Amino acid sequence: MHSACWQKRGWLRVGLLLAAIATTGFAHSRFETRSRVELGQLQVPSPDYVKLWSLGFDAAIADYYWLRAIGVVGAEEGAVEEQGEVLADLIDLVTTVDPWVGHPYRFAAVWLTRDREMVERGNRLLERAISYHPLDWRNRYHLGFNYFYYLDEQMRAADLLEGAIGLEGAPGYLAPLVARLRSKRGGLQVAAAFLVQMIESTEDSYKKAEYLKAVDEIQIEERARFLDDARVEYWRRNGGDIEQVSDLLAGPKPVLQRLPRAQLHLDGFEWILDPESGQIVSSYYGSRYQLHESQADRSRKQEWRELGEGAEAEGA
Amino acid sequence: MSDRAEIVRVDDLVKDVRPGFGLRKKRILEGISFRVREREIFGFIGPNGAGKTTTLKVLMGLIRATSGQASILGHDVSEITFRRQIGFLPEQPYFYDYLTGREILRFYAKLSGVSQESRERRVAELLELVGLTAASNTRLRSYSKGMLQRIGVAQALVHDPQVVFLDEPMSGLDPVGRKEVRDIILRLRDEGKTIFMNTHILSDVEMVCDRVAIIVSGRIRYEGAIDEFLDAGEPEADLVFANLPAETAAQLEESFAARLRGHGDRIELRIAEKDSSAVLRLALDAGAVVISATPHRVSLESIFLSTVNEADAEGDPQ
Amino acid sequence: MIGRIWAMAINTAREAIRNKLLYTLLFFALAMMLFGTILSALSYVDRERMVQDFAFASIRLFSVAIAVFVGVGLIHKEVERRTVYTILSKPLSRAEFLIGKYTGLVLIIWLQVVIMALFFSGVSLLLGAPLGFTHLAALILTAVELALVVALATLFSSFTTPLLASFFSCGIWLAGHLTRDLRDHGASSASALVREGTAWMHRILPDLESFNLSIEAAHQLPVAASDIWFPALYGAGYVAVILAFAVMIFERRDFR
Repeated sequence: MHSACWQKRGWLRVGLLLAAIATTGFAHSRFETRSRVELGQLQVPSPDYVKLWSLGFDAAIADYYWLRAIGVVGAEEGAVEEQGEVLADLIDLVTTVDPWVGHPYRFAAVWLTRDREMVERGNRLLERAISYHPLDWRNRYHLGFNYFYYLDEQMRAADLLEGAIGLEGAPGYLAPLVARLRSKRGGLQVAAAFLVQMIESTEDSYKKAEYLKAVDEIQIEERARFLDDARVEYWRRNGGDIEQVSDLLAGPKPVLQRLPRAQLHLDGFEWILDPESGQIVSSYYGSRYQLHESQADRSRKQEWRELGEGAEAEGA
Repeated sequence: MSDRAEIVRVDDLVKDVRPGFGLRKKRILEGISFRVREREIFGFIGPNGAGKTTTLKVLMGLIRATSGQASILGHDVSEITFRRQIGFLPEQPYFYDYLTGREILRFYAKLSGVSQESRERRVAELLELVGLTAASNTRLRSYSKGMLQRIGVAQALVHDPQVVFLDEPMSGLDPVGRKEVRDIILRLRDEGKTIFMNTHILSDVEMVCDRVAIIVSGRIRYEGAIDEFLDAGEPEADLVFANLPAETAAQLEESFAARLRGHGDRIELRIAEKDSSAVLRLALDAGAVVISATPHRVSLESIFLSTVNEADAEGDPQ
Repeated sequence: MIGRIWAMAINTAREAIRNKLLYTLLFFALAMMLFGTILSALSYVDRERMVQDFAFASIRLFSVAIAVFVGVGLIHKEVERRTVYTILSKPLSRAEFLIGKYTGLVLIIWLQVVIMALFFSGVSLLLGAPLGFTHLAALILTAVELALVVALATLFSSFTTPLLASFFSCGIWLAGHLTRDLRDHGASSASALVREGTAWMHRILPDLESFNLSIEAAHQLPVAASDIWFPALYGAGYVAVILAFAVMIFERRDFR
């Protein structure tokens, strides 16, 4: 009788406990639990404010915000495009609290490419990096790359790269690269050389793939230019233009034995004449490469233009 | 007696306290003076709140007097080094309860400057003296109140002081514990120590003290040897009879100023001690049976109470 | 005198060692270090350095917590529990008592910093992270900061309750880390009051940022010897001043 009473009470307790757990779980499923990064609502405090209140925990606080910055990039595809400001703010914060960090500066520079403004923010961070790490060639290199590749300022890029020559670990081809930049020649090779080094120095696989694609496109562009020369030769020999690219191999006086691949890694693409411009283009890319404009960058530049027009329209 | 050296001198000691922030000052010692002489057991007695503990704390340097002087062994109480010569047991003493009995005595011995060579021996002796040898390696946390009191006595004596100050040494102890403490006090006197003792347990005072001071409401009302104190007035005796005829009783009441009290068929008479033979003879002649005959001591309690009452009547306006 | 202070110090250290709070906080500090190790795995660069940064932060955070929360009870508890009665009746001055208590707690806190530092070194060696002189320098200055925090807690403990004392101690610790930046911000203020006020705050309050080598330790930056010894001397002087005030207050107290 006594034990039965205890048993009953025991069951009651278990029941209450289960009810409490169920209520907690139910309530938790009913409100927003996605992180602020995922929601794009991450509020980054002012760097000066955090620096003031770091209370001697500077290094750990910088690390914490660095982890958040990685979180922004890793959150989802395209997050960086949307949250460029947040990333820029976070890296600004990290490098204000702990300016001696190395990688975060270049991380920011590599990702802050959405528009001119972002590139310039990235450049400002790189300038801070150079002031704290004057002997690290990589920051100068990244800054030079940004000027050359995104902002199209070859002379500025050359000056920056020149500063990196001879620094510990700096690759040997910096000097010829600078010379080429100065001579304003060989744009394609310069771009390719720049990109190859970026591929080597970046740890980020997504960004690496993007650079690889750009390098591929430059190679295709070089082939297209080769085909352009062949086309001129064809005209000279046959007194008229090709009607299709395969004419270069056929006709009464062919100029080529065979055509190069129109895509480096994929089959099923060919060289065609662009009906609009009349240029020889790879059917994979559909247009010719212009310096500093890989396929990835074209869409970006398009956006810049649209944004610029939007701004102008607003201004008017 | 008065030619003995003065061990404790207190002259016109005044202490004002502010009971709380912003409250008016209250005078709790109104200029007290007394002396404690060498090798005596001095009882400092008074009702609760009279200023006993305050006085003792002034002597121990725990409280600073507003005015007046207090010195022990010729040193002002604000000095430090002479404390090597004194021992103190506070009321309901508290100690670090994370230490064992042995550890705490060792600690106090070290603080009192007992040399390293004699320290362990002294600690063992005192544990033996207060009967805590068996519990010496137990933490004070699990000590009973009586054991803590005994450790308190031990720490007060660990450095073999000349003068010992005890605040309510017997309170909170069972009868056996009280007897033990009493024995220790008497033994200390035999060893030539001077003992100052605060107490309100008057029977203890009667049993051990040589001299007393009574403090009431911050004033000393009496200071003197306990025998003088008790001997004030004519000695009396109590006689108890059975079968005492009523007319004899009336006669005794009239001729010897006897005070009568009835206890059933027995009658108790209080008379002057010098008349006891005459009274007994008369009563026996009348056929009474003597049950008891005892000298009547004036109890300290009655004197104490009358002193306190007097003070109340004359003093405070409330 | 030294003997009595030392007896007091050893006893205080023994009390702290038997304080459960100490072990709880030590446990949390070690747990935090472990947590830092997990957290740093989220990064793909500088993981070892981040483990060290988080470990170092844990050492500081929990040592400051111990310094404050054990420190504020240091004197107050003695008075409250009346253990001070028997002790001060011995040939021991109040200054000796207070300095002894202070020394004991500082020793224990330094001891637990050493324990955590050993753990820190173990983790660093395990991860192959660099251990250098700068880490030692940063730990030394952290120890000085802790000595200062204990002194603050002791000062407040000598006249107020543990709760208020911990508020005051934490407040001054916070302010001590802010004054340098506040002075710099204040210097550009148009108001002379703000300029002078922030400058004086920086002069009077403990400039705890002087003991902050966390960035230097993180990146093994070179630290000049004078950047260790002068702050250490500053800290020692400051501790002496605080303790002098604490003794002055404590000597005036009546234990009623």
